[in-house]
Amino acid sequence: MQSTLKAREPQVQAASLSERIPLWIYRLMALLAGMALFFPPANPGRVSEKINEAASLFTTAVSRGTITNSMGRILRSQWIQDADITLLMIACAVVMLGVLACGAGACMSLGNTAMRKKGLLPSLLGGPVMAVGLFLIRLTYNRMLAHGTEVDKLDRIGIMLPGGFWVYCAFAGLLFLSALIALFTMDKDTHGQNRMEMDEKYKLFLMMLPVILLSFIFAYLPIWGWRYAFFDYKPGGTLSADNFVGFKWFGSLFNDPATVRDLLRVLRNTLIMSGLGIATSWLPIAFAVLLAEVRSTKFQRVVQTLTTIPNFISWVLVYAIAICIFSTDGFLNSFLTNVMHQTGANTNYLQIADHTWLKMLLWGTWKGIGWSAIIYIAGIAGIDQQLYEAARVDGANRFRCIWHITIPGLMPTYMVMLLMSIAGILSNGMEQYLVFENAMNKDVIEVLDLYVYHIGIGSNQIPLSTVVGISKSLVGVTLLFAANGISKAIRGESII
Amino acid sequence: MSKKEKNAAQHIKRSTGDWIFDIAVIILFTLFTFICIFPFYYLLINTISDNDLVTSGRVNFIPLLKAAEGGTVFGMQFNNYIALQNVQDLGSAITVTVLRTIIGTALMVITSAWAGYLVTKQKMWKRSFWYRFLVITMYFNAGLVPWYMNMLMMGLTDNFLAYIIPGMVAPYNIILVKTYIESIPASLEESAIIDGASTTKVWMKIIVPLSIPILATIAIFGAVGNWNSFQDSLLLMNNRPDLYTLQHRLYIYLNSSSNLGAMMSQGGTISEQAAASMLNQRVIQYTVSMVSIIPILLVYPFMQRYFVKGIMLGAVKG
Repeated sequence: MQSTLKAREPQVQAASLSERIPLWIYRLMALLAGMALFFPPANPGRVSEKINEAASLFTTAVSRGTITNSMGRILRSQWIQDADITLLMIACAVVMLGVLACGAGACMSLGNTAMRKKGLLPSLLGGPVMAVGLFLIRLTYNRMLAHGTEVDKLDRIGIMLPGGFWVYCAFAGLLFLSALIALFTMDKDTHGQNRMEMDEKYKLFLMMLPVILLSFIFAYLPIWGWRYAFFDYKPGGTLSADNFVGFKWFGSLFNDPATVRDLLRVLRNTLIMSGLGIATSWLPIAFAVLLAEVRSTKFQRVVQTLTTIPNFISWVLVYAIAICIFSTDGFLNSFLTNVMHQTGANTNYLQIADHTWLKMLLWGTWKGIGWSAIIYIAGIAGIDQQLYEAARVDGANRFRCIWHITIPGLMPTYMVMLLMSIAGILSNGMEQYLVFENAMNKDVIEVLDLYVYHIGIGSNQIPLSTVVGISKSLVGVTLLFAANGISKAIRGESII
Repeated sequence: MSKKEKNAAQHIKRSTGDWIFDIAVIILFTLFTFICIFPFYYLLINTISDNDLVTSGRVNFIPLLKAAEGGTVFGMQFNNYIALQNVQDLGSAITVTVLRTIIGTALMVITSAWAGYLVTKQKMWKRSFWYRFLVITMYFNAGLVPWYMNMLMMGLTDNFLAYIIPGMVAPYNIILVKTYIESIPASLEESAIIDGASTTKVWMKIIVPLSIPILATIAIFGAVGNWNSFQDSLLLMNNRPDLYTLQHRLYIYLNSSSNLGAMMSQGGTISEQAAASMLNQRVIQYTVSMVSIIPILLVYPFMQRYFVKGIMLGAVKG
């Protein structure tokens, strides 16, 4: 069996240093060129100022709408011809194709000699293909320039050759050059091993690569958006040296009276609501402990099932339910009128701002307690029954059993939950507060997440809301590490 | 000691105090369960009763219809559900939500199964680094506006793909799958490798079939999440009302104080009777709410054991 295993291990010859250096340069370049596909400032296809600044090379190649969404008049009057836009998209697609070829070559360069040799083909081709695409972009540029001069609207269509064009020229050149060097320095002797093989470790890595890239694009790339915090940016505007303001917006968190007032109010709401949540975080334990005291397992199961349902409906639906119970023509009022024969019961309880924090806590508890209790119910089931037996022999009643066995047994889980909720004290999400918000309770319901939404998306103060978001993220990470540190110190276990 | 024996042991010495305590606990739980369930029931009876009676607040505990002699009688009608076809934009919202629930969940499950398997492979180049690279994203995000700007940059605003692609990599689910796969005996996988199966083949023929329980769990979580999704629709689909999700649509209905004309599309083939039955805006809101709750209530009882399994696995992550 050993020998079979050995025979299947691919025998990859170690490459010499002179061979490896150009390959590493090549892989690095291919990676950068690949990432730049999604990076708007490096878009070589932005040949007009009217093309969306937020469009990356990838977007330019695939989405006509993104290119043209701020060109209404220009296109209608044919200052830029439709054909030129099509040409631009084709050109960008060709550049992308070249980058993809280089990527394939870079992946293959991780294999054995036979594979590396084959991989040289796409590697060598990739650069020239990119060059063809860049040439087509240049052609588009020339055509647009000529047409713009013809209709005398150059100032309106803002034709330019973007910086990304030269970036990609450099990529194409360097990629071709390093592939060429690799061609000459490569040890072409395959030692009779003509099948393409790759080390298991690189194979697995390449299989993982798509997932890593997706994660990078949607979870790490947004950090690039933090740059808006340093500019006087207005939607549709541009970022340039002219509107660079350094830490002005960070300063305004402390200096600008209106912002400070808002922030203090919002922070108060956030901390109070999170604080109430933490103060009642023992409720699920009580729920689980009491439920475990019920003798009928059927009753336990039914209660557990039915109380978990609210957790699986969205906050919008919770709000719909709130309307059907508490609004003017809701259950409560019609119950008071028709069953209790009270007259004039037509209060819209949702419009009353009193006790908003408490109400939000109650809605959260209603929705979440059954679900949160599940983990403790399972925890109770996991406690050694012999402990209870021994305690009972020693004369403990059930309350002493709960106090000295069940609750200590649940404490480790509770500590983790508690630390996590302390780490997330600034993030109570926005959905619940967004749906319950109205003109009456606006001041007391707005939490930090909702505030960021209101100023950022609602009133387009992008830099300010970015700054608030950054501060919140940084505080959140600090709190998380602190909680983790505490957990390590007390329990010798990390929680993340 | 089994549960029964434990009960029997307790049974021997139950004092009056114990009895009172037990009864109090049962009453407490019955009350709370009632509070959890009654709103759903109330919503339901309001959509299947006579709409005039609903408007006058007569429907409180059982569905009622008008009796011939002017009183009320127990009964139900489903005209409100039939009339929903005339509610503006509801059809597209349901289509979009169903599509994203199916496609988005399927892709998320495949990605999680794939990534969850690969991160168990010790041989992978820089394995632990890449694993952390994925997991860290659970605890950190760049903030709402940078995220929005990123989606804008990707061309994922006003685009159905925005519902699908960003949700594909779900780090928490990857952890769940990884933890589960690690509990599968390694010998199964090894023997397949010795027989010459490739990584992909091992994944398809051995890992995926053995991981069905955990894949079902994350599929259900994912499907519920997709069905309930509201925020991405609210933030990203500003110029494409036809791509609003069901929850977003419902949110708009709940907040619309305008007259019914705005909600009901003009014309159509709907019968007079059904149209008349929709004259109450509240009833429209209730009925749409019911429509978006029903799938969850239908799926829920069958799936509960998976939910519980999921949260338990999550507790022992690593």
